[in-house]
Amino acid sequence: MNNKANSGITLKSTQEDHLIAWLAALAIAIHIIESVLPSPLPGVKPGLANVITIAVFIRFGWRAAVWVSMLRVLVGSILIGTFLSPTFMLSFSGAVATLIVLWLASQLPGRGFGPIGLCLLAAMAHMFGQFYTAYLLFIPHEGLFKLLPLLMTAAVIFGIISGIIVRSMMHHLEKGTDGITPSQRNVQEE
Amino acid sequence: MTRADYLIVLFAALLLPYLYVSQWSSSEVGTTAAIMNGDKTIAVSLAHDHTLTIDGALGPTIIKIEAGKIRFATSPCLGKQCIHSGWLQQTGEFAACLPNRISVAVLGDAPRFDSINF
Repeated sequence: MNNKANSGITLKSTQEDHLIAWLAALAIAIHIIESVLPSPLPGVKPGLANVITIAVFIRFGWRAAVWVSMLRVLVGSILIGTFLSPTFMLSFSGAVATLIVLWLASQLPGRGFGPIGLCLLAAMAHMFGQFYTAYLLFIPHEGLFKLLPLLMTAAVIFGIISGIIVRSMMHHLEKGTDGITPSQRNVQEE
Repeated sequence: MTRADYLIVLFAALLLPYLYVSQWSSSEVGTTAAIMNGDKTIAVSLAHDHTLTIDGALGPTIIKIEAGKIRFATSPCLGKQCIHSGWLQQTGEFAACLPNRISVAVLGDAPRFDSINF
């Protein structure tokens, strides 16, 4: 979003735009680093980029989470070179499933889910979305379901781990800088 | 952790065993059964409910087929182990009546190993 200044045309960018761009950039960086990690099984990944999605969801709401997660999937895939490939389709469907579940979670009355519940829910939704896309589009064979228990176990483990990460992130954000993230501070200085 | 958090953790804890059991238990429902009477073997379909009477070495054995399952119903033998084997349905399940020299094996599309040694 910085290149808008160079183009000569001044587009008004809101504070929220800057925030989303910063957070999306962070998520994209994690997404790319993670894509280099070797994986024991196709589909098993720590999913640390989703940590950002959940943190954004908790702090800035569902709309911002949609932006950050969709930008991550789109830009991340373009940078890695998997745009519109099966990898992208799986990543995209997982992100969509996650966002649907997050929207449902945001409609809950009361305190709803904490970071760990949200991350676990998101990880499982991501896995289901991804799995059914793989089944419907790429490997329409019953045998694929033999992998589901293993994949779901990985999703539950990594979901809880990212939940713990998000929880400690939230603690740090609440402690420091009266709740203003670095991105917001930069905007105010400009 | 909120109450909803505990609920979703509980849900995951129940979902995983369910997935392992439902996806990994090799339950192949059989389609036919082979009934061996001495040296003769007859194949029967499990698709239709019916009752067979087979004359073995000791006397008549009645074999019942019902809802895709097969069992020994009556047997002239003393031990009645064949009857105690109950309903057979999965591919590879087997019941035998040695005194009357009759045995029943459930067969499916994919033959399954009955035992593996290393």
